[in-house]
Amino acid sequence: MNTGKSTLANRISMDWTGEAMSKVSEIPHETREVIKKERVSIRVDGKELTINLLDMPGIATKVDYHDFVDHGMSKGDAQQRAKEATKGIIEAIKWLEHVDIALVVMDACLDPYTQVNITILGNLEARNIPVIIVANKIDKKSAKPERIRAAFPQHHVVEISALKGDNVNKLYEEIVKRAR
Amino acid sequence: MAIQFEFISADAILGRSSEERINLIIKSVRKDKILVLEEPLTPAEEKLLIMKTMTAITRDFPGIEVCSLGSTPDDIKSRIIKLLGGKTSGLTVVGPSNLVHQVKRDPNKLRFVAGK
Repeated sequence: MNTGKSTLANRISMDWTGEAMSKVSEIPHETREVIKKERVSIRVDGKELTINLLDMPGIATKVDYHDFVDHGMSKGDAQQRAKEATKGIIEAIKWLEHVDIALVVMDACLDPYTQVNITILGNLEARNIPVIIVANKIDKKSAKPERIRAAFPQHHVVEISALKGDNVNKLYEEIVKRAR
Repeated sequence: MAIQFEFISADAILGRSSEERINLIIKSVRKDKILVLEEPLTPAEEKLLIMKTMTAITRDFPGIEVCSLGSTPDDIKSRIIKLLGGKTSGLTVVGPSNLVHQVKRDPNKLRFVAGK
């Protein structure tokens, strides 16, 4: 959770359309439904790729409303958010099979070797969907993107800071190169 | 409170569909059991497990912790091995998240910390 998916979606959308697309928050499960931005054209080295950009809810194996209460929400609001979050996770999983390329965003400050990451990658691999792992938050001192590279050596990893914009041009190059 | 572990052999779920396996897992985990499956779940089954868990979440059941070692890929070889009654190597551990506090893993080792 809070790996920076929506911050990255906003970065891409702002860079190529001039408009943000998602709300960003410190509270987990801020994105509870798939948000779409259609016909985003990315241009790199004379090549142009037009994509429909999807900002997916984060996939998790648990949604505990107490976590939202801990972030200052009322019990009622927290329970409603938890309900919406579970629906969002199901929606995100269903969409996994219908993308042409996936940017799997991981927080470079955290242990990347989680079952959710492994499950997501395993399902994308089974369907031969091109994957770019985005090691996000490299602007933070505790970032260790090399752990992500070591955990998933079979995948291409791009280290970025979606917040600061560091290295996002490299990501655009990879998207254009790997999209099918 | 005592923590219940249930070890499920590959033979015990042989012949069951993925849907049936997942339903069995959710049913047991909701009874506060930690399951150790001799036959690891495939990525597709893990995906189904997460989806079904999301529909089962209540105020008292916030979800699961799951971890697999040597998870079997959904390739033809693994399917043939299963169809012929063979076992693929690895294991999956699943428990309720209000009981399992921490899961740490590396490629060859996993650690569950559980308690009330």
